[in-house]
Amino acid sequence: MDKLGSVMVIGGGVAGVQASLDLADSNFKVYLVDSLPSIGGTMAQLDKTFPTNDCAMCILAPKLVAAGRHQNISLLTNANLKHVEGKAGHFKATLTRRSRRVDEDKCTGCGVCAQKCPVEALDKFNEGLSKGGAVYVRYPQAVPLIYIINKEKCLGCGICEEVCKAGAIRYDQKDEELQLDVGSIILATGFDEFDPSLKTEYGYGRHLNVVSSIEFERLLSASGPHAGLVLRPSDGDIPRKIAFIQCVGSRDATCGTDYCSSVCCMYATKEAVIAKEHMNQIEPTIFLMDVRAYGKDFDKYIERAENEYGVRFVRCRVSSIEEVPETRNLKIKYEPEDGKLIQEEFNLVVLTVGIKPSESNKELAEKLGVELDKFGFFKTQTFTPISTSKPGIFVCGVASSPKDIPETVTQASAASTGVGELLASARGTLVKKKEYPKERDVRGQPPRIGVFICHCGINIGGVIDVPSVVEYAQTLPNVVHACDNLYTCSSDTQEIVKNRIQEYGLNRVIVASCSPRTHEPLFQETIKEAGLNRYLFEMANIRDQCSWVHMHDHKAATEKAKDLMRMAVAKAREIEPLERVALGVTRRGLVIGGGLAGITAALALAKQGFEVDLIEKNKELGGFLRKIHYTLENDDTQEYLRAMIDNVYSNELIKVFLNSKVENVSGYVGNFKTTVTLDSGSEVKRELEHGIIIVATGGEEYHPNEYLYGKDHRVLTQLELENRITVAADEKFGNVVMIQCVGSRNDEHPYCSRMCCGEAVKNSLKVKEKDPEANVYVLFRDIRTYGIMEEDYKRAREAGVIFIRYEEENKPKLAKIKSEGKEDLQVSVFEPIIQEDIIIDADLLVLSAAVIPPQENGTLAKMLKVPLNEDGFFLEAHAKLRPVDFATEGIFVCGMAHSPKPIEESISQAKAAVSRACTLLTKDTIEAEGIIATVNPNRCTACELCMLVCAYNAIEIEETKRGKVAKVNSALCKGCGACAATCRCSAIDLKGFTDMQMNLIINTLR
Amino acid sequence: MKFNPKILGFLCNWCSYAGADLAGISRIQYPPNLRIIRVMCTGRIDPVLPLEALANGADGVIIMGCHPGDCHYMTGNYEAERKIKMLKKLIAPLGLAERLHVEWVSASEGARFAEVVENFTNQIKVLGPSPLRQEKLDLSKWEGIQAAKEAVEDFRLRALVARERKIIEEGNVYGEEISQEEFDRKMDDALTAEYIRNRIYLILEKEPTSIKQLSKRLNLSSKHVLDHVVLLRRRGLVTVDKIEDMTPIYSVLKR
Amino acid sequence: MKPAEKEWTPKILAFLCNWCSYAGADLAGISRMQYPPNIRVVRVPCSGRVNPYFIIKALQRGWDGVLVSGCHPGDCHYISGNLVARRRFAVLKDLLEYLGIESGRLNFSWVSAAEGEKFATVVKEVVEKVKALGPAERLVKR
Repeated sequence: MDKLGSVMVIGGGVAGVQASLDLADSNFKVYLVDSLPSIGGTMAQLDKTFPTNDCAMCILAPKLVAAGRHQNISLLTNANLKHVEGKAGHFKATLTRRSRRVDEDKCTGCGVCAQKCPVEALDKFNEGLSKGGAVYVRYPQAVPLIYIINKEKCLGCGICEEVCKAGAIRYDQKDEELQLDVGSIILATGFDEFDPSLKTEYGYGRHLNVVSSIEFERLLSASGPHAGLVLRPSDGDIPRKIAFIQCVGSRDATCGTDYCSSVCCMYATKEAVIAKEHMNQIEPTIFLMDVRAYGKDFDKYIERAENEYGVRFVRCRVSSIEEVPETRNLKIKYEPEDGKLIQEEFNLVVLTVGIKPSESNKELAEKLGVELDKFGFFKTQTFTPISTSKPGIFVCGVASSPKDIPETVTQASAASTGVGELLASARGTLVKKKEYPKERDVRGQPPRIGVFICHCGINIGGVIDVPSVVEYAQTLPNVVHACDNLYTCSSDTQEIVKNRIQEYGLNRVIVASCSPRTHEPLFQETIKEAGLNRYLFEMANIRDQCSWVHMHDHKAATEKAKDLMRMAVAKAREIEPLERVALGVTRRGLVIGGGLAGITAALALAKQGFEVDLIEKNKELGGFLRKIHYTLENDDTQEYLRAMIDNVYSNELIKVFLNSKVENVSGYVGNFKTTVTLDSGSEVKRELEHGIIIVATGGEEYHPNEYLYGKDHRVLTQLELENRITVAADEKFGNVVMIQCVGSRNDEHPYCSRMCCGEAVKNSLKVKEKDPEANVYVLFRDIRTYGIMEEDYKRAREAGVIFIRYEEENKPKLAKIKSEGKEDLQVSVFEPIIQEDIIIDADLLVLSAAVIPPQENGTLAKMLKVPLNEDGFFLEAHAKLRPVDFATEGIFVCGMAHSPKPIEESISQAKAAVSRACTLLTKDTIEAEGIIATVNPNRCTACELCMLVCAYNAIEIEETKRGKVAKVNSALCKGCGACAATCRCSAIDLKGFTDMQMNLIINTLR
Repeated sequence: MKFNPKILGFLCNWCSYAGADLAGISRIQYPPNLRIIRVMCTGRIDPVLPLEALANGADGVIIMGCHPGDCHYMTGNYEAERKIKMLKKLIAPLGLAERLHVEWVSASEGARFAEVVENFTNQIKVLGPSPLRQEKLDLSKWEGIQAAKEAVEDFRLRALVARERKIIEEGNVYGEEISQEEFDRKMDDALTAEYIRNRIYLILEKEPTSIKQLSKRLNLSSKHVLDHVVLLRRRGLVTVDKIEDMTPIYSVLKR
Repeated sequence: MKPAEKEWTPKILAFLCNWCSYAGADLAGISRMQYPPNIRVVRVPCSGRVNPYFIIKALQRGWDGVLVSGCHPGDCHYISGNLVARRRFAVLKDLLEYLGIESGRLNFSWVSAAEGEKFATVVKEVVEKVKALGPAERLVKR
């Protein structure tokens, strides 16, 4: 039996949404299941995100809307999995959709019901910090924007039914059972927050001014209860001194959470910085054990927090918190490293709560027959970080272990590749292509404008005199039809619109209602179904930006609506049909770099049936991984690598180019041409054609100048130690001293190399295993054993490995001491707890050397026209939500080319890059944007100003008969219009928002 | 000077007004403090009207209608009873509950009418002049009654009261029985919340104020006041005027 | 009030970027934040789309003030359009001042999709500012 080309994704947070979008964009049918009434997960609750301080909603909302509207995605919200049977390729899932008591097809999301609901219920989204009604949406931008009745709070008074003009309230709606046939399942169940009231010593729940970090996040948010003011709960004052207490429910055996939650150091710092940005008088202090800023550009963020914003970091565990009854301030007792007990008073305490496995994991694991790890996360293996214990069921994001947003998004895409590899043969079998009537050619015809004005129940009609606006619209030039509708967005009105288009021969349509951001695609679809080009459409926002914001001035609101109408008509008279150019796609990939990431990517592409060219600069494949012999979990990395390399060579779709380098790249998404030079004695050049490029150039170990490295045979790097441990059968190690951050987190390489702490723990455990007599000392600045690795750190301490912290300004010193005719290595380090130097005689000095980017990154970046960050690693399009994409479409990055990282993360990234690539490679053609820039060659002087401001490298200067002119590559242009606004001679314009249209709008002033 | 109460009566046309006429026809004597407003039915009495009367300094307000079951318009008196019950709850914290009274007097009860008037007049005499009289106006109570007026104007509460009888007698939209107690609890919650918010609004309308000051004036915890201010901000009625030291001072936006 | 006594109120043209400020304006509506009705919004893909010429044109046409609002630095949907816009308007502001246009007539702000209240505040401030300046007549062609 053929496999099924459909997937069920469980969990609608950022992981689930990303996985769904990738799958849907590569022709799988997706059912996105969420137990909550709307998708968005935890990220939708966040105010800003580190390290860029991006507004979470600004960057997430477009993805949510895309998922909500995608033809291949069905959203099944307020639903739970009941049971599953079958196996990979053929699962049969039964779901229960709990009743919303609101008809999903009829609810327009106008919100009148919530406004009129007499019951005050706590608002869960704002973490109970503000109130809402018994009929509600989780947040204003919710997807789907469908209200739900909270039966527990509902009095059953019947008011909402009465005020709902759409007739969407269904008090008698029943729960519903649903069967899905899917080929594969992705688990993206996210996490629960640790319940801080379990740590009774912190007084959460007893003291009003002790809040959890998620509550604080809502306090910070512009859409939170205090609209962005940071106010403490007891009296609404702005807290001057705020204490953040880290690791509440993390790294804590008493709570059964031995792991590190990975994200808290960063998000607490972010919250401190944002609080400070809100109100400069705020003095934040963060109480922590280690600063775990292990991610890309995180250390820079911490440094800015400390030096620019004055965030204070104190290393200690807090012993108690007491409330001062009169002021409700909090007295914190803590013991800093020097051992003196200090008591300090704060106005607000934020408990930085850790990540807990989702409560639902247990039940899900049982129903699905997959294994959990001992904490309750879904179990995965180093080399298969997105596979559960059961074939066909994949996992991504925090469901398998704590991780931050970029890693979560990466894994989501990677899981989508997992599905793609499994179901490649069934791709496209369950998605339908919609057929539209042939487009009517309206060019050259005088505009015949139809205007549809919405009452939106009473949302618009209750404030604006809609009939008078209709009357007014009829007087405007070229308007041949104007009418009003109760709800213009309802499905029956779509039929009316289509009929009127025929009846009146309309060739432009205007809807005056809500926001084009949410509803334009719907109406564009309608006119397309009626044979009009989708761009022959314009909207006037007379609700969100008129009736709702001038509720008490009906006259002014009506006047404004008429003005907006006139503006819309002015533009509509000049709008033209726009074409979305279809570009062919070369269904072949190019992978640059033959290390772990490159090999993984090449194989993942090949498994999905795409040909791949794999370019490696060295004489053999394997890269950095050749020097790693085992992992913390004791996997045999060399055996794995050998098997992978064999697979590469035996796969006829993959063509390997050794001793090769990229010489030149031209073309654009779907159609790249690359020249490769093969250096095998004599140079040979090869021209390759491909649709996408994956950059996997890897990283290198830093060659230390410090600590007599290379001058004394007893000084090694971690990789050299690892080799020695593997090769030597039964060695005695004696005193082994490891120094962390050699070449990392300094002026030359200001970043954290991420993998060294894990490496040091791994190798010290191995040394102890081989030679229990050996003494191992690890000299560190912060131990960054994030996630589950924290357990290994604990294991190492239990095995007797001694960890000693040193300060950056007080680095360990190495001396050679002559005794008995030989020279001993002596390491001295200042110990902050006893405030004294410790001296260790070292038999081996092991340096945890930084991971540095390969030199040729610079040249390659120029050829690809993609950026590097300050450290020389490739810079992705967006640090949070596009971790493996570049701004330039069709080019992706993975592995250590992006930043230093351990094996499983490189594998995830490689698969993620493939997933993103597959959204292009699975298409016959790529549709370019309709709204793009266009050049009038008669006016262009080729001054190149437009090129300077274009962030997408979409403009080139072309030699023509008339000389040089700018040319827009429609495949790359995103339609921002920066070029049009920069051009000195009005030679470049933006379709859909032309200079002419803008001028006409400006001219509508009465 | 002897206290001479001013009492306003809302009397239904078919029973109580006729009863008052009968008292006259029968020459039954009663105190001259009552001024009567004739309405067709007690059901017509908008809850805001008795409050308006009190706000204008009436020492007492009495509502008289047909006995249960006798209403000329079937159920108007039941509606009135519920509204008055709600009003009494609302003004109780202001110490005004006893100044509002409801009685059933039929067309044949001339003597009873006189007795009711006499009793209520005496009751008011004992209570003394209304704190809302112009001469010595108690400002905080005046604010209170204004807030109460705004609260009963609230659509949601009016809608809820309008449904009370149906819900209690016939069950809610889910066909579940709702006890009077449960309904009252929800109603009280909504009412108190609305009342407090209006008081906050009125205070802020006069002068920008901090949460702590509001909490003192309303004798409510700061936390409580803050919750209400959050809601008022969300409704676009209140905004942060300025921040003094570390304390936000709130002011109103025009309704 | 009789029509003759009608108070002059300014008309302000606002260019809002689709991804942040326009969404912020929507959120102001969803949250029912009230602000003065003197503003007319033109949606543009990015604040970087706003040609300085549009602004001059608007002042010539008789709009009393112009507001351009985009994403916060770093949030731009098109990577750097808002920064391009910022540089451009810094120059334009100087030029307009040189022409004798009060600087309060040209306003630039960052409003994110989550800042409904901020949007309302920005509008209020701009309206107040322009109200105080009176009608813009300097560039209006008669």
